[in-house]
Amino acid sequence: MKGLMDERELSVELAELRSALRELRAPPADEALLRAAFRARRQRLVVAAGQRVDRGVRRRYFAAAAAVTAVVVAAVIGLIGLGRGAVQRPGAEVPVVAGAAAPEATVATAFQPLMYSPGFSPSAAYSVVRVRIPLSSFAVVQGTTVDGTIEADLLVGEDGIARGIRFNKADTLLVSAASE
Amino acid sequence: MTEANPPIEDRTDAELLAAIAAGTEQAFIDLYARRQTDVYRFAFAMAKSRSFAQDVTQEVFLNVLENAARFDAAKGSVRAWLFGCARHVVLDRLRLERRWTDEAAEEIGEHGSEEHVLLQQRAVRLHAAVAQLPVEYREAVVLCELQELSYAETAAVLACPIGTVRSRLHRGRALLAAMLAEGDEGATPAAVVGEAAALRPREVCS
Repeated sequence: MKGLMDERELSVELAELRSALRELRAPPADEALLRAAFRARRQRLVVAAGQRVDRGVRRRYFAAAAAVTAVVVAAVIGLIGLGRGAVQRPGAEVPVVAGAAAPEATVATAFQPLMYSPGFSPSAAYSVVRVRIPLSSFAVVQGTTVDGTIEADLLVGEDGIARGIRFNKADTLLVSAASE
Repeated sequence: MTEANPPIEDRTDAELLAAIAAGTEQAFIDLYARRQTDVYRFAFAMAKSRSFAQDVTQEVFLNVLENAARFDAAKGSVRAWLFGCARHVVLDRLRLERRWTDEAAEEIGEHGSEEHVLLQQRAVRLHAAVAQLPVEYREAVVLCELQELSYAETAAVLACPIGTVRSRLHRGRALLAAMLAEGDEGATPAAVVGEAAALRPREVCS
């Protein structure tokens, strides 16, 4: 090739560059920084290893929580479906549940919004689900009994989330005492 | 009764790496002190920048902390393994920063006698030419010619066959010679590299 340097000359120059590079020294290391980096990285690895161990336990926990949530959601949807079926079929007869009293006859309080619920919307459709709630789920107040249940209506939105609650007239005093 | 560990100064690089993987802080300090200059020189030879070389050295040894347990002595020496780590860091940084050779030339040593200065100038000129090489050839030239790794070690670092290393080195040397000769005649190294683009290898080693 025209103008090509002699191979030997190139080898000599490369050897010169090699020895010049040998003179090159990396700047002195800060030992304290190195040790700090080592400890930080070590700590991170230990934490990561711990997380790997926890992951199996956490997976089982989430599986259990998901199963419980699925059961609850299915139950709520089922209840809503029952209520809606009765409302959306104008021609159909309203199913009569043995022993169930008409809500208007027994419930006197107004719906109270539930804490942390999305709130009410005038244009949205809601279902009313009658439930019996154990008194033990309320704060225990002196003079109230923990045993027994109270009757209440839940106002449930289309998304399955309860928005409000109202209680049976007879149990109102008991509930207000318990929740104070 | 357990056998006491030998003093860290007497341990091989592989033993130090094993100790680092086991969590021995002093082993890390010692390996850093022993091998930082090798990594620094490699990075400097590749990118012709001291700050770049310093950053690469730090990143390589941080990687060592996490990957010490992955070292396999059957695949090569610790030094070659470190060059392999350094190569990845260098390529990543070059790709990110798009700073291949655009920094002003940095002189390698201290000034001395007139003859020494002349030698330095030749070395700086050659280093500039090396830094202009396509990266595939540059790696082979730096590892084989400047870091004095064997073909087998270089092949392990570049993760490609020895034959590929040989051919890249051959082409790299030919390009260097052409660049220096053309440089003497007034052409820029970049122009020579541009003409030689057709010589670039098709295969890419990981």
